[in-house]
Amino acid sequence: MLSIENLRVVYHDVISVLNGISLTLNEKEILIIIGANGAGKTTLLRSVAGMIDFYDGSIIDGDIKMNGASIKGLDATDIMKRFGLTYVIEDRPVFWYLTIEENLGAASFSRWDKQVKADIEGIYSLFPVLEKLRHRKAGYASGGEQQMLAIGMALMTRPKILLLDEPSLGLAPLITEELFSTIEGLNQSGITIVLVEQNAHAALDIGTRGYVMETGRIVLDGSSRELLENEDVREFYLGSGKRERKSYKDAKRYKRRKRWL
Amino acid sequence: MVDFTQALGAGTLVGLVYALLGLSIVIIYRASEAFNFAIGEFLVIGSFLFYIFFFDLRIPLLVALPLGLLAAGLVGALVERFAIKPLLGRSPLSMTIITLGLGFFLRGCVQLIFGSHSYSFFLELPDITQEFGDLLFLSDPIWAGILSLSTFGLILFLLFRTRWGLAIRATSENQAKAMAFGIDARFILLIVWAISSACIAVAGIMISNFGALSSMSSIVGLRAIPVVLIGGMDSIVGALVGGIIVGVCESLAGAYIEPMGLVGFKEVAPYLLLLIVLLIRPYGLFGQIRIERV
Repeated sequence: MLSIENLRVVYHDVISVLNGISLTLNEKEILIIIGANGAGKTTLLRSVAGMIDFYDGSIIDGDIKMNGASIKGLDATDIMKRFGLTYVIEDRPVFWYLTIEENLGAASFSRWDKQVKADIEGIYSLFPVLEKLRHRKAGYASGGEQQMLAIGMALMTRPKILLLDEPSLGLAPLITEELFSTIEGLNQSGITIVLVEQNAHAALDIGTRGYVMETGRIVLDGSSRELLENEDVREFYLGSGKRERKSYKDAKRYKRRKRWL
Repeated sequence: MVDFTQALGAGTLVGLVYALLGLSIVIIYRASEAFNFAIGEFLVIGSFLFYIFFFDLRIPLLVALPLGLLAAGLVGALVERFAIKPLLGRSPLSMTIITLGLGFFLRGCVQLIFGSHSYSFFLELPDITQEFGDLLFLSDPIWAGILSLSTFGLILFLLFRTRWGLAIRATSENQAKAMAFGIDARFILLIVWAISSACIAVAGIMISNFGALSSMSSIVGLRAIPVVLIGGMDSIVGALVGGIIVGVCESLAGAYIEPMGLVGFKEVAPYLLLLIVLLIRPYGLFGQIRIERV
């Protein structure tokens, strides 16, 4: 449904972050994007969600197409309304000074239907812990609760496509596991998901397909299974590859030979 | 004692008008983290717009007031669109600087259109002068207090009880987050500037009603600076309390210190108080303690 063709993005007119990214997103899949810090994962999501100009970046080449029609240059709110694409920005995108209930209300601002109240109750039954905290400011909730709230807020926008930017950031492994099974559940209910993660193993476990990004390019793609079994992915992202190259220097040289850097 | 109570009461009434000025600074500060230094010019423009509707076109007060406020809001929205919006996402400091320049520009416009002489300004509001024994509160300040307080209440209702208010508060906290959840942050900023501008106009009309209106009335707008700094830049309660404090402080200084020969001390007193408050509480009395999580 979504396809990106040779996308190039620069920040402040000079810093080139994406150097020709092409990828496709199929309906009802969980697409995983993994890559080191600074690879351009977040920038990619921002571009798709129409928020790149807000961060003073611009698309200088390539195109983003939704069902064949270009969405390049559309406003974030436009993209959300027309295509049901919701972008959950990284690092717990909740409003800290609003209560949890107000947060859910704010997230449903773009909707005018009568279902909002019922949907909020639906979120509470999905995440019972939120109901207990409904009148507390979100800033005082724990990291896991905030991330659940963020997903709940995203659901309030009734998304068809959900872009999740490192939802497991700073969460304990058990909570991450819970979160990922929730994401899997959302996918089964029919939401297409793009998941950007550092936690490659857990992400690839629930994913359908995956891309590996490095310095603004896609260096590898394949089904989750293929990526999990790929030697280089295992070594650089899963930390469980062959143990031949012990030092960082060796690893770096190896990567250079692979022309990834 | 009578003097003291009189000064206290009169100060509070004027303070409510200052509180409204403070509020209009606070909502802009919260939404875009910029300090609106052009507040004085907004005040004059708002008053003149009302002047045109009420005194020049002779529209009845109950129609002219909403019309004037609407026009003032429109000016606020226009200013936002042309001067502030292009800076969205940049440093709030550049927006603040823009408002400084904007102030000069708008002052020039006002002087060009209306000249720099005074216009007599008198609203024939029903006389509600109150007398309690030796105490006397004139009708105009009481009206000013009532209208300012009800505008203040109206804004609070808008912010805390309506969906638009929720969107404004969300956008005020973080524009990127708001945009990600489908709130059009740019449009919300426009609305905030319009509301703020209309509030300033209410305060401006009340203040002009005390005397006359001229392009120099803009100085009163600067009273908002001690108000918000004492109350806390991001606090709505702070604006109310700060406004009353500044009003009372001014009127006490006028009643007790100026007769000692220090003419003009009234203007300085709020700033002295401001210095003391800032030494004790750098964020102002009600400045929000930031929730920090790493």
